[in-house]
Order: sequence, then structure tokens, then C-alpha cells
Amino acid sequence: MREGEHVVFVVDDDARIREALGELLASHGIEASTFGSARAYIEAPKPDVPACLVLDVELPDINGLDLQRQIADGDHPPIVFITGHGDIPSSVRAIKHGALDFLTKPFSEADLMAAIHAALALDRATRSARAELGVLKQRYLDLTPRERDVLPLVVSGLLNKQAAAELGISEVTLQIHRRNVMQKMAAASLADLVRIAERLEIPITRSRRQGGNAT
Amino acid sequence: MMADLPRHPLQLAAVVVVVAIAVCWMTRTPFGLLVPAAAAFAFAPRRVRPPLLGAFAVAFAGSILAATLYGGELRELAWSWAGLFAAALSIGAVVATKASASPADEQQFAALSRGERAAKSGSPLANDAPSGTRRSLSRIHPDDLPAAEQAAARAFWTGVPQIMRYRQRQEDGSYRWTESRSDPDHRASVQIDELETTREEATTSASSQEKDADAIQAARVIESLFGNAWAFDAAGQWIYLPLFAQTTLGLTPDELNRSVAEGDVAWARLLHPDEHDDVAAHWRRCLATGEPYNGEFRIRRATGIYAWARSAARPIRDDQQRITGWYGTSIDIDVYRKTVEALRGRERELSQLIDMVPGHVWRLTAEGEPSFFNKRMIDFLGLDVADVDAPGTSRLSAVIAAIVHPDDAAELAGALSRCLAAGTAFAMRYRLRRVDGVYRWVSGRAEPLRDQDGHVVQWYGLCHDIDDHVKFEAALRQSERHLQQMIDAIPTLVWAATPEGEPSYLNKRLGEYVGLTLGDLDAPESTRLQAAIRNSVHPDDAAAVRSALAHSFGTGETFAMRYRHRRSDGSYRWVNGRAEPLRDQGGRIIQWYGVIFDIDDDVRMQDELRRTQERLAVSSQAAGLAELSASIAHEVNQPLAAVVANSHACQRWLTADPPNLERAQKTVERIIRDANSAADVVSRIRALFKRTSEAKGCAALGGVVAEARDLIAEEAARHRVGIDIDVEGDLPLVTLDRVQIQQVLINLMRNGIEAMEGVAGERSLSVRVRRIRDLAQTEIRDRGRGVEFPDRIFEPFFTTKEDGMGMGLAICRSIVESHGGRLWAEDNGAAGATFIFTLPVEAKAAP
Repeated sequence: MREGEHVVFVVDDDARIREALGELLASHGIEASTFGSARAYIEAPKPDVPACLVLDVELPDINGLDLQRQIADGDHPPIVFITGHGDIPSSVRAIKHGALDFLTKPFSEADLMAAIHAALALDRATRSARAELGVLKQRYLDLTPRERDVLPLVVSGLLNKQAAAELGISEVTLQIHRRNVMQKMAAASLADLVRIAERLEIPITRSRRQGGNAT
Repeated sequence: MMADLPRHPLQLAAVVVVVAIAVCWMTRTPFGLLVPAAAAFAFAPRRVRPPLLGAFAVAFAGSILAATLYGGELRELAWSWAGLFAAALSIGAVVATKASASPADEQQFAALSRGERAAKSGSPLANDAPSGTRRSLSRIHPDDLPAAEQAAARAFWTGVPQIMRYRQRQEDGSYRWTESRSDPDHRASVQIDELETTREEATTSASSQEKDADAIQAARVIESLFGNAWAFDAAGQWIYLPLFAQTTLGLTPDELNRSVAEGDVAWARLLHPDEHDDVAAHWRRCLATGEPYNGEFRIRRATGIYAWARSAARPIRDDQQRITGWYGTSIDIDVYRKTVEALRGRERELSQLIDMVPGHVWRLTAEGEPSFFNKRMIDFLGLDVADVDAPGTSRLSAVIAAIVHPDDAAELAGALSRCLAAGTAFAMRYRLRRVDGVYRWVSGRAEPLRDQDGHVVQWYGLCHDIDDHVKFEAALRQSERHLQQMIDAIPTLVWAATPEGEPSYLNKRLGEYVGLTLGDLDAPESTRLQAAIRNSVHPDDAAAVRSALAHSFGTGETFAMRYRHRRSDGSYRWVNGRAEPLRDQGGRIIQWYGVIFDIDDDVRMQDELRRTQERLAVSSQAAGLAELSASIAHEVNQPLAAVVANSHACQRWLTADPPNLERAQKTVERIIRDANSAADVVSRIRALFKRTSEAKGCAALGGVVAEARDLIAEEAARHRVGIDIDVEGDLPLVTLDRVQIQQVLINLMRNGIEAMEGVAGERSLSVRVRRIRDLAQTEIRDRGRGVEFPDRIFEPFFTTKEDGMGMGLAICRSIVESHGGRLWAEDNGAAGATFIFTLPVEAKAAP
């Protein structure tokens, strides 16, 4: 992934719109890739760079809103809808499903460019977060099975002896596992480990019932 | 001649003597003596005649003898006396014959010649009051008395009406001929032939002799007692038969005795053929053995009819106990026999009547014990009065237990015992058990028969089968109830009125609906109808309803009207009221029947519907405008959006450092193009709404089609649809609005392309243009799913597309029709649809 590189996908059945938008984005120095139909967009190979999808609602094959729903499961760039006759239900539906903006033709250059920039920034942030989470996931995968058992108990706030009793091991052994987990997950402190566990969506199932020093 | 005869015997004798002497003196012969001889024959009692005739005969014989023995003057004298005696004998014979042949004629003649009317007297001889009888008999001429007495005796013993004529002494001592008829006091209810009696004495037969005197004497004694008797000799020949009997039978004893000569009994000519043999055999046996004869048989009378008689005969024996003769009597028992038969017949009829009367007749004793059932009842029950007798219980209880339905038994016993105690008539309906075990309804009644003192002697009861009637009644009631339920249950308000229009019936629903009963309509100074209208019709409608009803009731025409009816809760609801008259065969109105349908919901619904339709029409227009404007906006916004975007791009290229003039130039060209496109749309739409033909010009249809194909080519390629165009070579020019017809073509082609979306197989759109007479016909044929509603698809806002507006085809048709052509759709069956439009060819069009 290279900083500064990005692409805008334009999907509209009207060639004139595609032409005009391509020209406008080019004048802003943004690379545009245009498609006449939803199918053409889906089938086209896409570069792994921050992107934005400018999507016409009225498409000949698949309605723009339906396309939004179809691609909602996967990773897709933020969507800016454009429409010839925008009605309120459509716009509400689009926004609720995560569309960044909903512009009615003819739209102003400022609105469009603001939306596109916001979309690209969002996608860039999303991509970076997705990359960081990928690292954490890889670290988590590097843990031994026993260490993966220890992690949720530790982040749940159990005392060492409680966690050891839970797993049926000695407190000393548990402390060894715990140190390894901290190292492997690159956690600076227990609080850091808890934050990492939260991002990895590791469930915190236990709670400490009696007081005591966690460390 | 005899009219001159004096009435008294002495006067008669004097006249006779004078006449005789006068004749003798005048003829100087003894012939004058013929007068007293004739008088003796004519007026002496009958019994004197035979000895007188005998004396004359002896004298005649003596005269002849003297004439033959002596001669001379004595002989002459003897001859003259012989002639005298011969003349006397002749007179005697003539008189006797005449008297015995028709005494009635003589009497009649005598009576008439005296100028007296033969009176038919109703006063009886024997059966009048005793004093009357004596007086009556005491006034009868002594000569007629025996016959009268015997006739009276016969009347008494036999009851047969007796008719006889006799001389009755009048107040002045003279006798007048009277005919009398005597009837029995108890008038026989049977038809009986009367018997005529004459005053003549009984006669004996030619064969009767001195030795028979005992039998005849005995017969006379009996005759004096019973009015009839007879005698036979030992051989069974008649020797005595009263003259009245001979008259009645029309036979003399000698004639009867002729049967004996023929080898039969002397009765033979009198007996009825049915009884002849028995009677004859019996009689022969009696004659042979001397045992007394007793028998009843029919005797033939002179009139030819047979009358029943009871006869008895007893032998007369001499000192040696030999039978010397028979005497006996026959009493006419015709009345008795006929009466008995009549009584028996009547009893039989009565008994048949009781048995045949179509009902059960029964009788109870005064205490209430059943004592008689008629045959029908016995047949019905299969048992007689005494069949159910059981010890320890009364017969009545036993009978009731045996024949009455258990459910009715107690009530019947109670009612019957109350009636028996009070002596009042009994009447009740109950079920009787038939012999086959089936219980049938009967109606029973009983009344007491009382004696003179008012005590109940018997109870007579009658019950008749009313089962069918009861069942019919029950069925009728059931049917009526059913009908009533139906009338009350049907969800309609029903009423009836008299021919004059007075309400006479409201069904339950109507009553509940208006909250009124018929009785509520009865008001002192208004009719029910007025009250009904006042109470139940909306005041605004009342006058109209009243006049419509008055018209119907007056003319018999059907009443049908819609008005507001007041419901029990006070609300008014629209109803449809109808009434029709029911007429009899003569066409006269018997009753009015009416129904009221609550149509309030319908009326309100119709109002609602109308309002909705009106709203819909308004909103349709509004929606049409909104849709149209949206459509227009889209059409215009597309190029406008491109223009705006291109303008910004152009601006950026120009303001860039260095300015990119080349690209700016390119964007400006696009701006011009798209702006023109937007302007085109606007002008097209204006043209559509104006329906102007300003933009029309002559054009080759083939070229227009080709342009349209170019416009849609990209879309077709995207849908992988091939477009095949076939335009007839020498097609003339057509006057058309190029833009509009292109719009039509593009619309139809796009429809065809979209119709083939998702259809397997070849996707091809075929556009064919050819000339048919003075029309240029364009067909756009697809291979899609076909058209489901070929007619409706041209209606505005009709669409089969999910997001279609339904305007396209409507606008297309509008455009084609504004060109003077037609647009329609045809289904190709399995292979999609064909849209066809025609445009008129200009006849004068130049090539």
C-alpha cells in the first residue's frame, strides 16, 4: 500500500455522466475508473488502494441500492450515491446502509469533491485499521493453545492463583504462560493486553470474585 | 124389481100371498104358487134352500109318477103340477146359484139399489174399546153376527186387518150395509195383506157325511174361538172349511180334495213348494198314527201370495178309539213372523251399525266397569272386554293398563273416575295401543244413560282414531313454527298489512330493529300506519313514504322506496323498502307483504367509494403530474448533471497552471452537446403536451429507425441483444416528428431488450418496416416473456416493471396517434411480443 495513491470508481449508465465525472476527477488529479453497469464494476479487477465508489441509483441491470446491499458483506470502498431524482426513502435507505453521501443530479462540484475526499480518507483509515488488526490477529495465532487459554482469564482480571486453579495448573506455570502471552502479543502492560484482547474480540467471561492484587 | 120388495118379512109374506092368489085366479092354474116358492128361495136363510129344493124335487118326482100311473083328468092335473114343481126347482136353482156365485154383487147391488152408499168405516170390529166392540157387535144384524164375531176373533189372534161387510142397525131400527176394517191396536210395522170376511156361514164339502159331524162340531167350536177352523175326515179329506177361508184361498174344499185323488195330501195346493214335502210327510204320518199335528208353514192365498200360518190338527175318535176325523185351525202368523223377522233384521242392522260405525263403541256399567266393546274396537285392540281381567284389580284399571299409552293412562284414569263420580260427560284425547303395538291417538267421549230417576244406568262411549289428524296437526304446527322461525331468522325485516294498509304483522327482527311491537302502534287518534311512519321513518322522508304507501295501497301497485328508517337506538339508517300485494283468485288484495333491507352500509360504502374515487381521480392527476415531472426532471437532469460536471472540469483545466486548453476545449464541446440534449428533451416534452405537429417533416422512416438503433445500440450490446433491422426498399416518405418517433422507437426497442432480460436462448430484437396499402407499418418483435395485458399496457401508469413509471407506452401511443397512426401489441405466443405501429403514408410524397 502506497500513501497518496487512490482511485475513484464511477458507475453510471449514462455515458455523458461518466465522461463528465471522469473529466472532473482528472482535473482534480484523481484517477477515475468508470463502469456502465453494476455488473461491469463487480467483475472488474480493483487495485488495492484507498478508493471511493460513486454509484448511480438507477442502473440498468442492478439497482445501485441493491448493489450496495450485495457488497455490504465484503470489504468495499465507501459509497457516494448520485441520482437523477432522489427520493427520501431511497436516500434514507442508502445512508442507513453506510453510504457516505447521497447527491442529487445535478450536484455541485464542491459537494461531490468533499464527499469523495471524505470517502477516500475514510477508506484510508479503514484500511490502516484493518492492517493493524491483521498484525494483532497474526500475533494471536502465534500463541500456543495453552497461552490462548490463559489470555482470556488474565484479561478478565482473575488473580494468578484463581486462573491457575481454573486451568488446573500451578501458579508458577501460569505466571510463565502469562509472561509469554505478554511478550508475544507485544503488550506493554496488562491494560495494553486488555485493549488488544478487546480489538480481537476475545470474550471476557470471568470476573474476579474476591479482592487481591492482579499483578 | 126388488126395489119394490117390502123390508119386513110379514109384509113380504102378505105381498107374496096376494100375488100368488091373483096369479092362480087369473090363470086358473096353481102356477101362482111359484111366487111364494121364488120368495122362499130368494129371502129364506141359505140353510133352508137345500131342503126346500129337495122337497120340490120330491114333489116333482111324485107328480111325474102320478102322471104315468094314472090317466084321464088326473093325469092332466099331475102334468100341470109337475110343470109347476119343475119351474119352482128352476127358480130355486137359479136363485141359489146366483146367491152363492156373487153375494157381494148382490149386496152391493142391493145397497146401491137402495140408494145407500157402501160406507167404508174405519171403526174396528174387535179391537176398538171393549164397550165400543160390544156396542158395535150388538148393532150388527143377527145374520151377520157370527161372521163378524169370527172376523173379530181372527183379527185378535192374528193381527191381520179384517175387512167385512155387514148390516148395521141404525137409530131408527133399520139396517144399513156397512163395510168395516179392523186393524190391530199396535199397528204392525210390517206390510200385511188384509183379509176379507163375508157374513156367509161356513160350508162343508161334498164328501162330508153324518159321521163327520163330530169333527165339524169341534171345528165350529174352535172357529168360534179363533175365527178359523176346519175339519178333515179320517182319510184326510176336507170336510169343513169356512167360507171366508175358501174366499181367501180361492178354493173350495172339493177342489182341495182333488189333490188327494191325485195321490197327494189335501193341503197340496196350499203349500209353499219349499215346505210342501216336509208338511206333507208330517201330515201323512199324523194321519197314519193319529198323533197330533202341529206345524208352521206358508199358505197360498187366492192373490198368489204366501202367508205364514200356524196350524194344529187333532183327531176325533169314536168309542173304539178309531179315528173318525180331524179338526184343527190355522192361525195366520204372518204378522208375527214378519214382525219377528223385521225385528231380527233391525237388530242385525243395529248390531252391524255398531260394529261397522267407523269408531270404537264401548259401554261401561254405572260403576265404570267395561261391559262391551264393538267389533272394530276388538279388532283394533286385539282383545275383548273380558280378555284382560286380572285378579285383584278392577276391570277398568286392567283395561286402561292394557290399552292406553303409559303416558296417558294416569290422566285418563283420573278424568274417567271424575266423570264417573260426577256423572258428567267425558271427553279426552289419548293414545290407544293397537294390536300390533303401535299407539295411535284417539278422541274418546262418553256420556251416561240415566233412568227415570236420573240414576246412571250405563255409560256409552265412542272413540275414533285421530292419529293421522293429530300427526297432521303436529306436522302443521311444526311447519308453522318452522316458517315462523324462518321468518324471524332471515336477516330481513318483514311486515304484513291488511288490504287497507294497516300493519298486521312485524317479524321479530323488525320488532327488534325498530324497538316497537304491533301493539305500540295502536294509538287513540291515528291509524297504525300513521303511527308506524311517525315512529320509524325519518321526518324528512315521512311525507314521501306516506304518499308512496297511500298510492300503493290505493292502486295495488308495488311499493319500492329508499328512505331512512329509525332504529331502536334512535339512529336513522338507509333502508330499501318494498311491498307487494297478495291477491286471491279473483284478483282481490288479501294482504300486503313488505320487506325492508338495511342498505345503510351499502349507501355509506357507495358514498365512501364515490368520495374515494373522486380523491383518487384528483390524486391520479396529481400523481401523474408528479411522475411526469419526475420523469422530465430525470430526462433533463442527466444532461444537466453532465454539463455541470464538465463545466467544473473545464474551469479547473483553464485555471490549472499551466492551463490545459486541450482538455478544456474538449469539455466545452461536451458541455455544448449535453446542454443541447437537455434543450431537446425540454422541447420534446413541450411538443408532447402541446400535441403540435410543428416539428413534423417528411422523412424516410428507414433513416429514423437506423438512428434509433444507433442510439440504443450500446444498451443492446450491454444486454447482449442483437438488433436486426429490415426496411422495405421503396418505402415512401412519411410525415413525422423525428424526435418523437425516435422516442417511440427507442422506447419500444428498450422494452423489447428489457423483456428478454433473463430469458434463455437467442436474444434478438427484430425491427421490420414495410408498407401496407397507404400505411407504413413498423413491427418491433422481441423474444422475451410476452405481454400479459396487451390492452392495459398502454394505459397511463400501468407497468409490469418493478421501478417503471408506466408512462412510456402511454406516451408512445399518444405520439403515434398524434401522427394519425395506431400502436398496439400482439403476443407471439412462446416467442415474446410484437409491438406494431402504423403511420400514414403521404400519397403525394416525393421520393
